[in-house]
Amino acid sequence: MASGSPDDSGRQATLPWTPGDVSESATEALQALDTYKKKDPSKVVVRFKAVGNAPIMRQNFYKITASNRFQAVIQFLRKELGWKAGDPLFTYINLAFSPAPDDTVSNLYKSFATEGHLIVNYSTTAAWG
Amino acid sequence: MSAYGTTRHHGQPSANSTPASTTLFRRLTWEGTVPLEIRVDSKELPANSDRGLECYYIQAPRVSYLPLLMPEIRRFLMDVVFDEAAGKMLKEEEWWFESEEGTLLKWHWPIGLIYDNHIISASIRPPSQTSTSHYNLQVTPLKLILHLASPPTEKLLLSPSAESCKQAFMGQLKEADFVRWGNTKRMTGLRKQDQDGIWEGIKEHNFDDYWRVASKIVPTTAPARSNSPPPSTNPSMHTRPPPADPQSAPDRDNAYNVRSVPVRLYLPDGPVMQDVVPPTLEDGSAHTLVHYLSTHLPLLFPPAPYSGPELAYAMMHGVLVPPDAEMAWLGACMAGADGWFSAVANTLDLALFTTIISQRWRRLGVEELAPKLRIESTPDARSLPVGGDEQA
Repeated sequence: MASGSPDDSGRQATLPWTPGDVSESATEALQALDTYKKKDPSKVVVRFKAVGNAPIMRQNFYKITASNRFQAVIQFLRKELGWKAGDPLFTYINLAFSPAPDDTVSNLYKSFATEGHLIVNYSTTAAWG
Repeated sequence: MSAYGTTRHHGQPSANSTPASTTLFRRLTWEGTVPLEIRVDSKELPANSDRGLECYYIQAPRVSYLPLLMPEIRRFLMDVVFDEAAGKMLKEEEWWFESEEGTLLKWHWPIGLIYDNHIISASIRPPSQTSTSHYNLQVTPLKLILHLASPPTEKLLLSPSAESCKQAFMGQLKEADFVRWGNTKRMTGLRKQDQDGIWEGIKEHNFDDYWRVASKIVPTTAPARSNSPPPSTNPSMHTRPPPADPQSAPDRDNAYNVRSVPVRLYLPDGPVMQDVVPPTLEDGSAHTLVHYLSTHLPLLFPPAPYSGPELAYAMMHGVLVPPDAEMAWLGACMAGADGWFSAVANTLDLALFTTIISQRWRRLGVEELAPKLRIESTPDARSLPVGGDEQA
C-alpha cells in the first residue's frame, strides 16, 4: 500500500500526495458511495416450501427483487397465503434459521442459495424456536 | 477469575486449548463499550416530572442490546424523573428509540453496531449539525431519544421485548452457524440450559458465562492439522458424517475449516453487504481483510497494484483493523457476541486522511511534518495492539 517512505534520516521526506490529489480522491470516494447505494434491480428466484400443516401454494417459485428486505418477502407470502397480520407465520431459510427482517434478499441469496434459488420454508408453528 | 478465560481439560491434548491471544481478543471485544446519552422525548414527560434531570448516560457494552438497557433506564426514570403515579404507567414494551436526526433505531442490532453505523452515517452528512464528529475520531456519546409510547410497529418489524430480543439473538447465532458449516447442528445440539445460559451471559454481561456455551459453537484458532478435509462448499443442509476418529474432531471446528466466515460490511447510510467469505483463497493463501474489501468495494479499496491515496477505511468495534488481518481469525476472535463480525467502511475525508498520515510520520520521528490534528482513539482501543498500526 503506497504511503511514501522517508529516506534514512527521516528528515527530508515529504507527504506523498498533494492536497489536490487527496481532495480529488475524496470526491471520487464519495461518488463511489453513491454507486454502492444504488439498489440492485435484478431479481432472484425464491422457492417457498411448506412445513408441517402449512398449506402448499399453487405456485412455489417466484422472482423477487434482490434489494427487497426479507420483511417484504414475509408480507408477500402472507398475501399469497391469504393470511392476516395476526395469523402466526414462521419463516426459515434452508430449514435452518430465521433471518432478521431487515436482511436483504440479495444477501440471503448470495450466502444461502442452492441450485439457483433461495429456499424459504414457512410454517404455522415455531419449529426451531 | 482466570485472566485468560477457560480452557477445558477433559483428557484432550493441549493443542485443543484456546490460545491466550485468542482469549485476549475475545475478552477485549467483549469489554468494548460505547457512550450513550438517553433523553426522554420532552413531549412525553408528564407534567410534574423533574425536567432538569432528563438525560441518562450509560457506557453500554458493544455486545449488548437496547432492550436490555431498559430495566436500568426505567430505574433511573422512576428514581429521578417520574413521580410514583407516572412511573406506574411506564410500559417498556411500548418504548422505542430514535437518533437525534430522527432515524428509528433497530433494537435488534448490537449497540456497538448501532453506534459505529451512526458515526459513519453522520460523517457523510453536511457538518452543520454536529461540529465535532466530522473532523476527528473523538468519542462522543450517541444521543438517543427515548419514546415511551406509540411505537411505529410497522417500521420496527418486531416488538422490542426482551423475549423477542433473545429470539433475534439466537437467530443470528444460528445463521452464523449455518454460514460456517452449512448446518446448525452445533446450535441445535445445545441443551436448553446452554441456550438459555448464553443469553443470560449477554443479559448479565458475563464473559465466562457467555463463553462457557460459545466455546461449543465458535471455531477455534489453534493451528489446523492438514489431514482435516474442508467441508463441502455446497451451502445446502446436507452434512458430512462426523469423523470416526475423535482425535480429529476439534479440527473440524477450526476457524480455517469453515466454508464461509460470518461477516457483514456496512457503508454509511447503507447498503449492508453479506456474501460467501471463504477462509482461504483459491491459491491457498489466507483470505485477508484487504482482499475482502477490494473484492466487495473495489471503488473504495482499489485492488493491488494501486499507488494512489487511500480512499477509505474500515473499522471493527471502533478500531482500525490491519489490512493483512485474516478473515478466519477475525471471525473467531473479534466477532460480536451474535457470531457476526461487522466491518463498517467509510470514505476518508481530507482532515481524517491527514490525521492518519501524520500519525504515521510521528511514529517515524518526522515530527515537524505532522500537523496538529490528532486521532483520539476510543478508550477500549488504546489497549489493543491493532488500530492505526499500518505499515508504511
